[in-house]
Amino acid sequence: MNTLRAALLVALKDLQLELRTKEILTSTGLFAVLVVTLGSLAFYTDPVSSPNVAPGVLWISILFCGILLIGRSWSLERENDAVFALLLAPIPRASIYIGKTISALAMLFAIELLLVPLCLVFFQIEPKGVVLPLLALVFLGSLGFVSTASLFSAVGIRTRARDLMLSVLVFPLVAPALLASAVATRELFAGASMSEIIGWMRILTAFDLLFVGFGVWVSRHLLAET
Amino acid sequence: MKLDFEHVSVTRLAKSYGPTLALAGVDLGFDAGTVTAIQGSNGSGKSTLLWLLAMLAYPTRGEIRYGVHGVSRSDGLRGRIGFVAHQLQLYPGLSGRENLVLAAKLQSIPYAEKRADDLCEALTLGEYWNRPVRTYSRGQAQRVSIARALLHEPRLLLMDEPATGLDVKSAASLVELVEREKQQGSIVIIVTHEAKFAELVADRVLYMDRGRIVEPSA
Repeated sequence: MNTLRAALLVALKDLQLELRTKEILTSTGLFAVLVVTLGSLAFYTDPVSSPNVAPGVLWISILFCGILLIGRSWSLERENDAVFALLLAPIPRASIYIGKTISALAMLFAIELLLVPLCLVFFQIEPKGVVLPLLALVFLGSLGFVSTASLFSAVGIRTRARDLMLSVLVFPLVAPALLASAVATRELFAGASMSEIIGWMRILTAFDLLFVGFGVWVSRHLLAET
Repeated sequence: MKLDFEHVSVTRLAKSYGPTLALAGVDLGFDAGTVTAIQGSNGSGKSTLLWLLAMLAYPTRGEIRYGVHGVSRSDGLRGRIGFVAHQLQLYPGLSGRENLVLAAKLQSIPYAEKRADDLCEALTLGEYWNRPVRTYSRGQAQRVSIARALLHEPRLLLMDEPATGLDVKSAASLVELVEREKQQGSIVIIVTHEAKFAELVADRVLYMDRGRIVEPSA
C-alpha cells in the first residue's frame, strides 16, 4: 500500500473517532477560546493599541491548544496498545506519522476557524483584507508546529516523560516558525498588505517543508521498533 | 507485495532491554502446518519471542528467517503475519466491525467490509459487532482480536494467551480454529500458561526459562 493512502486511512480513523466523541475538539477548543477571552480582557486598552497585543494572544492560544490536542491524539494510540494495530500492518512507517499529522492539523485548523474571528472581534480589528491572509498564516504556522510536535509524540509513545519531552523539545524547535508567524500577524494587524507579508509566508513554507520532510524521514526509523 | 514462506527459523536469537536479557540465544524452527505451544514462567521470554517474530521489535543478536526472507523485507512479510497480543490492540472508541474494517483496509484486502462481515459471521460476533470495543468484556474483545489476526489469512499466526477470558464455548471454538489453521498450512505459535490447552492444540510444547528453551523438568 502506498504511503499516502495508508496515511489517509490513519487520519480518517482519527477523525472518525473524534467525530464520535468530540472529546479533543471540545476540551482543546474551549481552552483556546478561554485563553483568547482572558487575553482580550486582561490586555485590552484601546482600539488603537489592541492590534499590538492580539498576535501574541492568538499564537499563545494556538500553541497551548495544539500541544494539548496532539498529546491527546497520540494518547488514543496508547490506549489498549492500539498503535500496534497500525505497526502490524504492511504499511510504510512514515504513513502513521503523516496520518497523525494530517488529522491533528485538521482538528487544530477547525479550532482556528473559530479562534480567528473571535480574536478579530475581541480586539476590534477590521476584518476586511485580514481574514484570508491571517487564515493562510495560521495554517502555515500550524503545519510546522504540528509536524514537529507529532514527531516527538511518536518518539514518546513508549516514553514515560513524553509530556515533558514535548514541552522541552518542541517549543525551542518550533520557535523560528512561531516568531515568524507572530511577527507576520502583527504586520497584518498593523495594516500590511498580502504582498508585504509574503516574505514571512515564504519563511514559514520553507520551515514547513523542512520539518515535514525531516519528520517523514525520521519517523520511518523511529517507528520501526517500539 | 506480500511474501510467502513455509518455514520460520530463529538462530541464536537474543534480545536485551537495557541491562535485562529477555532472550539469551534461542535456536528454533517452525514448519508450515504445525502448531507449537510455548510455556514458561512470567518473564521467561515467551512474549518477547513472539514480538520479535511479529517484527514489533528487532533482535539484539541473532537472526530470524521467514523462508528465504529476512526482516529487511518487513513490509512484505507483515502481510503474512497475524498476531493476537495479550494487550488486545483494538481502538476502544471504534466498534469491533470498524476495527476489523480498518485492519482489512490497511492490509489492502479487496472488499474490506465484506471480508470483515464474513469473519464476524464465521466467528459469531454478531451480538456486539457494532458496539464500541470499550463496552466489550475481555472475552468479546479477545474474539475480535483473534478475528483481526485471521483477516488476511496469515501464514504465521502468533497468539499470546489466546484463551484468556474466553468462556467454555469460545475456548472450544478456539481449539477448532487452531486446528483449521493448521490444516490450511499455517505456522501457529501459541504462548500459553494453560498446560491442558497447550497439550490439546499443539504438535509440540516448548518450555522457556530465563530467555532460553529448556527441558520440561528444568
